[in-house]
Amino acid sequence: MEQQKWVLENPTLGIIFVAASFVAFYFIGWYSARAAKSSTDYWTAGRNIGALANGLGMASSFMSLATFMGVTALILKLKVPFVYMWIQFALSIPLITLWYGTPLRRMGAYTPAHFVRERYGLSTSYVTVIFMILVMLMYALGQMIGVAKVFEMLFGINYTVALVCGGALIVGYVAIGGMYGTSYNAAFQMVLMGIAFIVPLGAIMKAMGGTGWYFPPLLYADMVPAMLEAVPDFFDMKFGFKWYFSLIPCFTIGAMGLPHLGMRIYTSKNLKSARGAMVWFTFFCGIVFSATYTMGFSGVFFQATSGTTIIPSDYDKITLILNSVFNPPWVLAFVIAGAIAAGLSTISANLMAIGALISQDIIATIKPNLSDKTMQIIGYSAITGGGIVAILIALNPPTFLVVSILWAFGLAGVTMAPLVIMGVWWKQANRYGASAAALISGLTYIAVSPYLFPDLTIAGGLQAKLGMSGALLCVPLTFLILTVVSMITNNIPALMARIPHEEDKRLVDSIHGWAEYDEDRYNSTKAGIIVAAISLFFVIWAVMPGGWTA
Amino acid sequence: MNSTYKKEIWYTLVFSLLLLICGHSGLLFVAVPGLRDIMIMGFPSQYCIPVALGWLGLMVVVVIQAKLTNDLDDEIEALTSTNTTSKTKG
Repeated sequence: MEQQKWVLENPTLGIIFVAASFVAFYFIGWYSARAAKSSTDYWTAGRNIGALANGLGMASSFMSLATFMGVTALILKLKVPFVYMWIQFALSIPLITLWYGTPLRRMGAYTPAHFVRERYGLSTSYVTVIFMILVMLMYALGQMIGVAKVFEMLFGINYTVALVCGGALIVGYVAIGGMYGTSYNAAFQMVLMGIAFIVPLGAIMKAMGGTGWYFPPLLYADMVPAMLEAVPDFFDMKFGFKWYFSLIPCFTIGAMGLPHLGMRIYTSKNLKSARGAMVWFTFFCGIVFSATYTMGFSGVFFQATSGTTIIPSDYDKITLILNSVFNPPWVLAFVIAGAIAAGLSTISANLMAIGALISQDIIATIKPNLSDKTMQIIGYSAITGGGIVAILIALNPPTFLVVSILWAFGLAGVTMAPLVIMGVWWKQANRYGASAAALISGLTYIAVSPYLFPDLTIAGGLQAKLGMSGALLCVPLTFLILTVVSMITNNIPALMARIPHEEDKRLVDSIHGWAEYDEDRYNSTKAGIIVAAISLFFVIWAVMPGGWTA
Repeated sequence: MNSTYKKEIWYTLVFSLLLLICGHSGLLFVAVPGLRDIMIMGFPSQYCIPVALGWLGLMVVVVIQAKLTNDLDDEIEALTSTNTTSKTKG
């Protein structure tokens, strides 16, 4: 078997394509940002983005560099179980829209943490903001490292120079464009990356003998018999019921807690436009996700049938390797530009979220009377500061941060999503319950990860590293603490006298669109008890041994 | 008002369930191993169904979800404006 390290032979075309794409990103950022007249416009794009552009932007925020590199690498390594893990990410925007996106858009929120502040008060929002900044930094860090590695390969420069130059270019266009620029750039990046991923994949399939090359996302069944002969375990499920079930709390509910996804909904023109964007998101997300599985499938197929062995350190380059083998150099250059666009769309959404969390959810609450111009300067500084921190950490990243991007999803699922869901749908949720739940469950999730106290993990191995076992325990734990503490404290008049609970309850009716307050709406004690009982069941199930392997 | 409120709760629960079924249909094949390795359109069932439901099935659900929840918003808005008008007149 031939085994060799893959290197880019002719980077010139790649450099031209990437440079041209950066010129386009800066132009779009500068041109669209001219519409921003205030700091609110800067963070929410004037709440004026149409359904198609927003749907593309939503899908683009999810199509990180991982689409071109990490996902295909993990399909090569884990095979079909990783496909299951990825499929469910398409649920994120539909579930966010259904459970809290439109109520928070109606409220005029900047970030989910903004809602937490209005609903549960300042101290709870500070707890969640700190967790969210950590999550967004971890997320941005992975993308920043990925973009730097592509720059390193493309320009033949060392990693540090690639990181600083690439990072500065990215931070610059995000800060200039604000949410207007980020949204329209994200839409453009989605089109670019979609074409750069799917069209060359068709050519790869055709060259490998696939007859369904004209629609790569779904038509590769004719390659299945050869695959089964060469790699008989490709379609094996490998893991147990608990492993697959834990995808729900860790990644489905986790994605619901990611602020940069929710923020896309708040940029919509109106609620109908937000739901239209959700439909477009599902379409674009589905077509690119499905093509990603095809690329992973093709990578395994190529390796198994051509006699070429790809070394494990090159697994994440499989998309580039297949293109370099089967397509002309200019196509490979276009694919590299698409990969960069994928990384950028995610980093820009992450940086916008970090900027909004710092400027709107921390500084604006400490100093509420600052002028709009000062807030705009703070906004630029917050985005730039977030970018600089991500670049500095990426210079010498702790191993824990690099391998734990998916772990961060679970942290968002533990500390943010349950608070917002219960805050929108259950009036009895109060500030004591929310603070206690976010703090105790968030710290428990960190404690049971393999990164801090390896002996404390609930289940070792991959499920602990990815945060799946931790989330299976801690997401229901958040719901449990939130409901139980709220129900207990609601019956202690001395405690309730210290918080404006009546105002908090009125907020719930208003964000659902009800002009008149009705005490009985969203106020069922029975519902609270049912949520607590189901959560308790899952907490117990999570700590019981077994169930992770087939 | 009561029926519109109940409709809102039911839509949220039912669509959540449908979305979860679309995105996590792989669970069915872990729970019932006998359903695996049945070839559908050239793919093993445990691969074909989750991939198809995770995109095309999800598309169908979100289109219906968007339509019904938009209608529900209109219903809440109409109800709210009717109440406001009758109060003003009263």
